Amino acid sequence: MKKILLVDDEESIQLLYHEEFEDDGYSVVSAFNGEEALEKFKADQPDLVILDIQMPGMNGIEVLRQMKMMNADIPVILSSAYHEYKQDLGAWASDEYVVKSADIDELKKAVRKFIG
Amino acid sequence: MPELRKDPVLGRWIIISKERRKRPTDFLIEKPKTGGGFCPLCPGNENTTPPEVLAFRTGVDQIKDGPGWQVRVVPNKYPALIIEGELDKEGEGLYDRMNGIGAHEVVIESPNHEQSFASLPPEKMLLVLRAFRERITDLGRDPRFKYAMIFKNHGKAAGASLEHSHSQLIALPILPRMIVSELAGALSYFRYKERCIFCDIIRQEIQLDTRVVCQNDHFITVTPFAPRTPFEMWILPKKHSSAFCKEDDYKLYSLAELFSETLRRLDICIPDVPYNFVLHTEPLQSNGMEHYHWHFEIVPKLTSIAGFEWGSGFYINPMPPEEAATYLRQSLEKK
Repeated sequence: MKKILLVDDEESIQLLYHEEFEDDGYSVVSAFNGEEALEKFKADQPDLVILDIQMPGMNGIEVLRQMKMMNADIPVILSSAYHEYKQDLGAWASDEYVVKSADIDELKKAVRKFIG
Repeated sequence: MPELRKDPVLGRWIIISKERRKRPTDFLIEKPKTGGGFCPLCPGNENTTPPEVLAFRTGVDQIKDGPGWQVRVVPNKYPALIIEGELDKEGEGLYDRMNGIGAHEVVIESPNHEQSFASLPPEKMLLVLRAFRERITDLGRDPRFKYAMIFKNHGKAAGASLEHSHSQLIALPILPRMIVSELAGALSYFRYKERCIFCDIIRQEIQLDTRVVCQNDHFITVTPFAPRTPFEMWILPKKHSSAFCKEDDYKLYSLAELFSETLRRLDICIPDVPYNFVLHTEPLQSNGMEHYHWHFEIVPKLTSIAGFEWGSGFYINPMPPEEAATYLRQSLEKK
């Protein structure tokens, strides 16, 4: 079973994505901030990361750049409610940038693209 | 007493607030810490960028989208405007709209993550300037585009999101309002005096010698009469030319030498100062303009833009350009 590390500080997003991706046959590990995400990235060896950007403490782009230093082969999808971070060239380290919406089909499609 | 000054090209007013007079050391800023980590612009990480549209490589390593490059230009991975499609202009009552078509490219100025644009030796800076020229020329062949804007954000406060030195190019299907105003101001002066206003500015500045920062045979750096910010500088070709793209390598090398010296002077006055520079050149598909003169504008990010500036279009500048020019002129000598 492919493992997704889901990094988001919002409880409601965690609940929704957990349910959706587990229903689709993935196992999901949660992290609620950047520091926790980096620890779990090391410890849990996920197959893919879904990463929020605006979080307390380290933001998602800082976390992304640290993750890619550790292992550039694990795909990371930035998932943000904001388009603006697309102007941050640090976001180029990501494999996909998906703007959050009520319909998570685009995110699911991106996940399938990388880990089937 | 404060002084109001009018920019002769744009007609824009600024306020020199002499009672708030400052020295360069008053502007010293703490360099913000950067997070570091993986850099998508570094050699070896070429697969994290879109395929390059231009690169200058030396030696045997000549593989496209591989390492070995000195300067590399790639489309923006998450562009503000997209290159494919038609404009499909339409009106909605009195409002106009069109598709967000344009080119958005990033010029990676050095393979070295730590090297700043200002510290590039002239032969390396020449490659960056050549990249600007070649990309503008290429995008100028696309009839959808009216203007190609080159700009650089240096330092976090000036909008740089990644520490690896880079500049950007955005080709637009419309002329930016700033360029429209500049062209109109220059044309109005030309119709009246039958001379290029920028050529006249250069002549007068050389004669007065109070705002000249440095110069060589082909280029001159001045602090403009009505600068928006402390230490604003313009670099202009001494000989009339409206198109940056028409400059040959010899001239661009001369520009690189002066650009490098100009930024070195600024860095000595205010180390690690964040700044933006913007290339002002004639619109695409123009065939030379008698009334317009290409130039670079370097604008240090030392003052903030607040309600008064937004509301009036005025800028308040606590540093008279004559004083800024004196500090900049003395900088290298002191060093």
